[in-house]
Amino acid sequence: MPIRLDYIFEWGPTLDQWRALLAGAGVDLLVGVLGFAFAAILGLFIASMRLSSSKLFRVPAGIYVQVMRGIPLYVFLLWIFFGLATVAGVRFTPFQAMVIALAFTGSAYTAEIFRGGIQSVAPGQREAAKSLGLNAISTFRDVVLPQALRIAVPPLGNTLIGLVKGATIMSVIGEPDMVFVASDINTTYFTPFEAFAAVALLLIVMILILSTVVTLIERLLRLP
Amino acid sequence: MLNYHYDWSVVLHSLPALLRGLLYSLEIAFVTLGCAFALGLVVALCRMSTFRPLSVAAYVYIQVFRALSLYVYILWVYFGLGIAFDINLSPLQAAIVSLTFLYSAYTAEIFRAAIGAVDVGQREAGTALGLGVVGIFVSIAFPQAIRIAIPALVNSLVDIVKDSAIVAIIGAGDLMYTTIQLSNYYVRSFEFYTVTAGIYLVVILLLTRIATTVERIFPVRAA
Repeated sequence: MPIRLDYIFEWGPTLDQWRALLAGAGVDLLVGVLGFAFAAILGLFIASMRLSSSKLFRVPAGIYVQVMRGIPLYVFLLWIFFGLATVAGVRFTPFQAMVIALAFTGSAYTAEIFRGGIQSVAPGQREAAKSLGLNAISTFRDVVLPQALRIAVPPLGNTLIGLVKGATIMSVIGEPDMVFVASDINTTYFTPFEAFAAVALLLIVMILILSTVVTLIERLLRLP
Repeated sequence: MLNYHYDWSVVLHSLPALLRGLLYSLEIAFVTLGCAFALGLVVALCRMSTFRPLSVAAYVYIQVFRALSLYVYILWVYFGLGIAFDINLSPLQAAIVSLTFLYSAYTAEIFRAAIGAVDVGQREAGTALGLGVVGIFVSIAFPQAIRIAIPALVNSLVDIVKDSAIVAIIGAGDLMYTTIQLSNYYVRSFEFYTVTAGIYLVVILLLTRIATTVERIFPVRAA
């Protein structure tokens, strides 16, 4: 396969659209962060179910985690956006559908992270809280959770990054994110190399900044 | 709208087509794992090299490919490279190439951690026995590292299978592509996406089960 090397790069049309591309990147970031926020809340809930002493909570939560980790995001997204619309008549906007898909798939991961975090808090801490006369809620909120969160931050950061990357598929259901803008530039000027390279670069920069932020948070939370 | 009439029979009729799609997806996933295994090992060795430019290059490579999403990358590989350099890959080739580059960054980190986890004394013993750098790696470090790496590698395989659904957007005939086509044809999106989600779920649970079995067959021997 001969590789052609006389292609004349046309960066103009892509660079002219930098505002639209940046705005699109903002949509990816927003959807990813929103999805993560919901995934964290849902995950904490699932994790407490998994740690429950009753099988009635533990088993469904375990199945939930297995199922949500076994379905590709793309399949789940189309199931929510197209499938649920035809069956239940619930019509989500592409934005909502993407946030929901990320929240549910993400929650399976955050649930396991929280579970691991909570379990790795030494039992002596809980016993000490009890002997100090703290009740169950206060023990969890004031003693266990602050320690568990610290352990959970690095893997939670990885999940956030994974969800922001996952959010980039939202243009398949028509949400105008940065990939959508690049596809637009491509169909107008026929410059797929430049347009998609710009998006790839934006994504790399965005993720590198995010991972730096996560590292900074880790350092802030580190105990002396 | 609660009076929806389910029609699973169309999905049942399409099951052979869906399973063909699944085979295609698995083909992509296993070929990718093989290629990412080899490429990742090379990148890991570069990353661990004492020659600084090489290890910096490998570091940049890992950072870049871990930051990219498959969707963004495959669009560039499939559409971009074709126009700019006349590298016209088939959807299958583009899928394997994109997945391989992305996942080699992950496998590289897995190998680096695994090789680093092999006891230093092992390597020193190799030196004491008069083995060269290559000899130590091939017959001492690598056999032990691979056992440590197996669980993480199988996790990568699971991720590859899940991520491979995205190759449908460039028209590769995988399970997801088949599903989209059939669901549009029969206008039965709920039924088709539900069954496809189920198929992926079963495959991934099976792979995870195999992973636990493999771990048991190749246990990491305690020192």
